[in-house]
Amino acid sequence: MSRSDRRYVLLLLAPATVFLAVFVAWPLLNLFRDSFYEVGLMTPGERSFVGLENFQRALTSSRVGGAALRTLAYTGIVLTAEFTLGFGVALLFNSLGRRSELLRTIFLFPLMIPPIVAGLLWRFLLIDNFGIVNHILRQLGLLASTSDIAWLGDRDIVLFSVALPDIWLTTSFVTLVLYTGLQNIPASLLEAARIDGAGALQLFRYVTLPLLRPVIAVVLFIRGIDAARAFDIIWVQTEGGPRFASEVLSMHIYRNMIRYGDVGFASAIAVLFLLAMLALSLLAFFSIWRPQALRGDA
Amino acid sequence: MKSVLLLLIVLLLVTGPAALAQDEPVTLRVLVEGGGISLQLAAAELFEEQTGHTVEFVEVPYPSVFEQLAAEMATGGSAFDVATIDVVWIPAFADFAEPLDALVTDEVAADIFPALLADGLWNGSYVGMPTWANAEVIYYRKDLWEDPDEQAAFMAEYGYELAPPTTWQEFTDMAVFFTRDSDGDGAIDLYGTDVKGAPPGADVEWMVHVLQAGSPGVVLGADGSIIVDNDAHLAGLEFYVSHHCDLGITPANPLEIGWAEGENLFFQGVTAMTRFWGHAYRLQQFDLSGGLVGAPYIGPEAVANVGVAPMIAGEAGIGSIPGPWFNIVPKSSENKEAAMAFVQFMYDQNVLGVQEPLGLSARISAFEQFAGEENYESLTALIATLNGPQTIGRPLVPNWQQVNDEVVVPMVQDALGCEVSPADALAWARGELEAMGFE
Amino acid sequence: MNPGRLLVLALVAFVMLLYISPYGYMMLTSFKPAEDALAIPPHILPRQFSLDSYSRFAKDAEVPRSFLNSFIVAMMSTTLAVSLALPAAWAISRYGSWPGRFFLLVALVTRMIPYIAIAIPFFALMRSFRLTDTWLAVALAHVTISLPLAIWLLAGFLEAIPSELEDAARVDGCSRAAALLRVIVPVAAGGIVVTAIFCFLASWNEFLYALLLTSVEAKTAPIVIAQFKSQYSLDWGSMTAVGTLYSLPVIIFSLFMQRRIVAGMTMGAVKG
Repeated sequence: MSRSDRRYVLLLLAPATVFLAVFVAWPLLNLFRDSFYEVGLMTPGERSFVGLENFQRALTSSRVGGAALRTLAYTGIVLTAEFTLGFGVALLFNSLGRRSELLRTIFLFPLMIPPIVAGLLWRFLLIDNFGIVNHILRQLGLLASTSDIAWLGDRDIVLFSVALPDIWLTTSFVTLVLYTGLQNIPASLLEAARIDGAGALQLFRYVTLPLLRPVIAVVLFIRGIDAARAFDIIWVQTEGGPRFASEVLSMHIYRNMIRYGDVGFASAIAVLFLLAMLALSLLAFFSIWRPQALRGDA
Repeated sequence: MKSVLLLLIVLLLVTGPAALAQDEPVTLRVLVEGGGISLQLAAAELFEEQTGHTVEFVEVPYPSVFEQLAAEMATGGSAFDVATIDVVWIPAFADFAEPLDALVTDEVAADIFPALLADGLWNGSYVGMPTWANAEVIYYRKDLWEDPDEQAAFMAEYGYELAPPTTWQEFTDMAVFFTRDSDGDGAIDLYGTDVKGAPPGADVEWMVHVLQAGSPGVVLGADGSIIVDNDAHLAGLEFYVSHHCDLGITPANPLEIGWAEGENLFFQGVTAMTRFWGHAYRLQQFDLSGGLVGAPYIGPEAVANVGVAPMIAGEAGIGSIPGPWFNIVPKSSENKEAAMAFVQFMYDQNVLGVQEPLGLSARISAFEQFAGEENYESLTALIATLNGPQTIGRPLVPNWQQVNDEVVVPMVQDALGCEVSPADALAWARGELEAMGFE
Repeated sequence: MNPGRLLVLALVAFVMLLYISPYGYMMLTSFKPAEDALAIPPHILPRQFSLDSYSRFAKDAEVPRSFLNSFIVAMMSTTLAVSLALPAAWAISRYGSWPGRFFLLVALVTRMIPYIAIAIPFFALMRSFRLTDTWLAVALAHVTISLPLAIWLLAGFLEAIPSELEDAARVDGCSRAAALLRVIVPVAAGGIVVTAIFCFLASWNEFLYALLLTSVEAKTAPIVIAQFKSQYSLDWGSMTAVGTLYSLPVIIFSLFMQRRIVAGMTMGAVKG
């Protein structure tokens, strides 16, 4: 690249860089700084340096640990459900070909709904007594009483329940991306494999899946990041309860930073969260993308 | 001469209010919660007329009242001139609020419910002026209580008259009595009452029984010491939890029921009694546009079936947790003089709030003026409850929100799960409070 | 059509119906009279058709105003995000140097930050610019969310454009900037539109920043919707009505743009 090229590249990157520096990096630097201080929400001027104490507190707190595990579990639930459902529907669409256009359009609907509305809506669908879900299940004879499943009150299942609106909102995203990925697989390749005597399952296992791998990786990556940060969509359903059984890390950060005003501690948790996300992303990056590049196709 | 004098008086009357105002009319920014804004609207209009100032209400959802104000305090002081805040936030904002001692004269103090006045006091000075008060009272189904058949059956079974409950025993008896499967399909379709295990509701409701049992306060004593495991706490929690865990006279899954859900269960006819805030009786009679007897959520017929009684009494008498809101003037306000005048004016015209659909006030005289009138039948119960000997506010500690979220709510949810005994739950709470630095 | 196909079609139709039923139920609830919206036991169809819940929209000036605010904020943030992202994405895809790669990584990291953690410093920043409760403040906040996305999407689209196109334009005497604006932008118009749609949606539906940064003037619709659940009442009817109205324009829009949206997702995903 010539020197003028380089200068031009930097010039092109400058506006976005300046924006991100001012509106993201600056608040982020504040966050990093605060994580080494004891500082109250409403008295940012009265701060005392405490070194790594906030981090030590965060790493030894059972509440933080629990929230971290639930964040992982929540992300796992959302990704698994979205991917399974999304892939299944994408395959169905694919087998229908062009005829699926109307269905695909309808499938886009939930993507247009604000997460806050989706959370409130699902709370209303699931909640005992008023909820239509248990009512229908009872009428179908699947439940003896509408109180048999406490979607939002049972500690053992609440994390699954609060994941439902998130799954509902974004399965369409997963489906549509995977569908287009499927459509982009050259028909000639599939045809060739079929001539070689591959069955439908083999075709899927040895042709479709490897070719779809980069698309799958990106989808999981983007959705994983977003699910791990989920906040308001869960908050409006349960406020993290009962007994913190649906509290994820972003909520714990919110509680400590805003509601309890313990900015230093909350900042330390947020910094740890960000570092963990980075580490996991790198791990995912090298384990999903790289091997594929090294192996060629499977 | 006489006519000149008269002219002077008229002139004075006309220009008087303007002369009282500051030289420059200002715009006051007032932070309020979306649900309570109506209580101050009429008075604010009057204030604008009389002073020439402009009042701009900033209406936000409940949690944002705290968050907006806190965010502004955190970044160089609030731009609000007045904020109407929930009592639980008083300690958090007390150091940032202008003392209002000058406004709280003896006369004012005499006209405000004592528990309310105490809640606005911080380090010996009043930082908040009560704007309206509320408390949980007993709602019951008048049609059931006044039914001669029910009365006879109740008399036969319990040996005393069926009337709105006044004690723990009566409350329990009646809740047991009315829990029934009225259509005979094998499933209970009318429950005696409900218990709340979801916030908001889980955090406060059990406390009223703690007070009724004679505790000097809830969770923390006046000196900040831990009292969460005293005898009254145990008695109160045991009473509350037993309705669900032992007697089964409440709808299933209490951990999904908070105030909003409990209110709806009652007004939809699922429960025979409920503990709920005093405003709902009057509010239910208005349709969405503010017309009378609209009963948007239950229908006009059902409204006639709703009765309201004072909160029940324990050994120590009637007790409830007041839910007052206060006007505070942030120290950073640039229009302090006008803001003070506004707070004073809101107190003076407090009675206007009673006429709103929400129908609440902080002044005893305002409540008494309307008590007993049509559509105000609930006020008598509310006054009796607010004047209860054991009606005491929540502890004024700056990190109450944390105590509430981290200790109180999970403790109640534990107890309502029926697997942890109330005594063990309270012992756990003590441990948590000690870990937070309380003694 | 053979029976197998028919079965597949029936299956898809069923899944589809199940999938959109929550939205359908919200819509149906919005046509119930208020006392029916919270009925126990609940019922699916309105017992009586009513527009009561929609009366809020006509009576309460705050609701239509919040829709307007949402629209303006979304337009502002979309314009800003796309105009910032376009040159950056071009630099990344055309010149592919290490600053470009590094920038992609930065964009990704930006997406990992839990917003709530930097909300207060961001609020402080807006206050020091005297921007709180303005469209611009919310729009800027929304750009921090949509800019990384826009850069990734656009980089994917622009990569598909052969670099000869720019060279040819330069031979014809265009400056680099002119080549980008006059030659590349029209060719990439489809991708830019898709990117814009995603930026618009991100802003239109955003709640947290809007909640903290607005109070009266710039309050957006999601805040107003959340307000129906107040201390003293849950106005579920109005909430469903306003929620339905709010999602309707974007749904109708998406019907027309369906193909482009799908294309956009794939481009971003495959190229990213």
